[in-house]
Amino acid sequence: MNENEHDTTLNLKCKLGMKSILPIFRCLNSLERNIEKCKIFTRSDKCKVVIQFFYRHGIKRTHNICFQESQPLQVIFDKNVCTNTLMIQPRLLADAIVLFTSSQEEVTLAVTPLNFCLKSSNEESMDLSNAVYSEMFVGSDDFDFFQIGMDTEITFCFKELKGILTFSEATHAPISIYFDFPGKPLALSIDDMLVEANFILATLADEPSRASSPQSLCLSQKQKRSDLIKKKAGKNATGQTLECISRKAAPRRIYPKETLTNISALENCGDPGMKRANGDISEVSESSVSNTEEVPGSLCLRKFSCMFFGAVSSDQQEHFNHPFDSLARASDSEEDMNNGSFSLS
Amino acid sequence: MKFRAKIVDGACLNHFTRISNMIAKLAKTCTLRISPDKLNFILCDKLANGGVSMWCELEQENFFSEFQMEGFSAENNEIYLELTSENLSRALKTAQNARALKIKLTNKHFPCLTVSVELFSMSNSSRIATHDIPIKVIPRKLWKDLQEPMVPDPDVSIYLPVLKTMKSVVEKMKNISSHLVIEANLDGELNLKIETELVCVTTHFKDLGNPPLASESTSQDRNPEHMAEVHIDIRKLLQFLAGQQVNPTKALCNIVTNKMVHFDLLHEDVSLQYFIPALS
Repeated sequence: MNENEHDTTLNLKCKLGMKSILPIFRCLNSLERNIEKCKIFTRSDKCKVVIQFFYRHGIKRTHNICFQESQPLQVIFDKNVCTNTLMIQPRLLADAIVLFTSSQEEVTLAVTPLNFCLKSSNEESMDLSNAVYSEMFVGSDDFDFFQIGMDTEITFCFKELKGILTFSEATHAPISIYFDFPGKPLALSIDDMLVEANFILATLADEPSRASSPQSLCLSQKQKRSDLIKKKAGKNATGQTLECISRKAAPRRIYPKETLTNISALENCGDPGMKRANGDISEVSESSVSNTEEVPGSLCLRKFSCMFFGAVSSDQQEHFNHPFDSLARASDSEEDMNNGSFSLS
Repeated sequence: MKFRAKIVDGACLNHFTRISNMIAKLAKTCTLRISPDKLNFILCDKLANGGVSMWCELEQENFFSEFQMEGFSAENNEIYLELTSENLSRALKTAQNARALKIKLTNKHFPCLTVSVELFSMSNSSRIATHDIPIKVIPRKLWKDLQEPMVPDPDVSIYLPVLKTMKSVVEKMKNISSHLVIEANLDGELNLKIETELVCVTTHFKDLGNPPLASESTSQDRNPEHMAEVHIDIRKLLQFLAGQQVNPTKALCNIVTNKMVHFDLLHEDVSLQYFIPALS
């Protein structure tokens, strides 16, 4: 619910510090027991989000948190056209990954039409002669849905996966995994009654020298990490949504030289170094760069993830003041295009 | 050289995991010696270890349902491997409720001890996890340094009090001093003493009991109340005590005055000997 002095609902995109929010909602038990109502609204005149807890006996606790406006970014990724789709209870996957030593940065997922295997990233274990190489097979029977179009091996950031699984265990829905070939992003999706979350992770490209799906994501070349938010495709079910949802164009396959899906993104909660493109751009041609770093010999995986929450309640709301938010392009992409080359490793 | 072994019994697996955890706490890197009847975890008294040495022995048939090994040669039918103890204990941790555990010596890219765990899973398909733990094969000429340490004739031999109690005492003492004196007598008394300029702290343990001494003559000569003492580094003692998560079946301590203290523990059927030298 967004209010401003004119009492019209605005579509506010902002970011809040996690350190500010977490302590407010810390003691879940005591919150559930003592609080009758919680009200969250914004005071855009003061750039604050106000969270009010109404306790018994007329006691009211108010928290004012400053927010920062953020320029939304777009993510070009359509999970529905991915070759490989899996669905599994997060608990099962969490049990599988617990065996990996915590020092590992990356993990490799290898699938065949019959098998699912998580294993230590080859690149890492080769470097450290002391590292344990682990493999964990999960039978296809353990999955709620198991569709593999082609044998694939992708490598991505382990820490992100652990975090996502921890988060998803709080919901009771299975987690869906969508992915394609190495280099193309991997999407992890949770669709609960109350929450839909999409996490998009970069994967390590096979050969750093070749362009791997340059269209997959708009990404600044300079940044190591960016968090982008993907808009949820028009969820008609119910939605007084906190964030806007709209898909203006039909989803397309993510390949070079094709037009993008127009998905206006919600929020950028990441790297301040990220440069945002100005103006409305509804098409992006060869813009994004590969996920791998161009520093030779570097194993640094450019990681980013993207998460969207849509709250679900009884009123439907579809007010958008800015349906087309600016499309973020790789800051150097224009120069790259001018130079006629991608800067890739 | 070949080695393959399998554990299918849940209790044996848990016990083996506990032993491995203990070793991981006692020694960062250790030597695993595989022989036809036994497995040994060895830490030899190099300067790098601070002079501490450890000898842990278990009978393989108490753990493994299958055990095959082929050592260096027919005359020297043993295998000595060096590994990072934590790698093994972490791999075993995943085998907590496993159907079966297999360990074998492999050579993928580099020599490894491959631990393969077959887990129960909800559906019919079984879940298999494999860990390749890198190891170094220790050459034959270095084997002589890794033999069972000689246990010298102790001046006093005494049963230890509850290790958890000892550990909490030593933990607090560590904040005050880095040297500790262990002394004990043949009357069942053990003292832990620390001394600084400002303060002396002694913890007394009584009625501990003494095992029968090897040689009767020495026990008759000595006054049973006479204390045999040794000064040791408190951190080494603490490391030893911290490794004992479970109270052992038997625990005794042998003191050789001003030379060393030797701890002899028995965890069910696994024996652990730990030697801490005296501070010079």
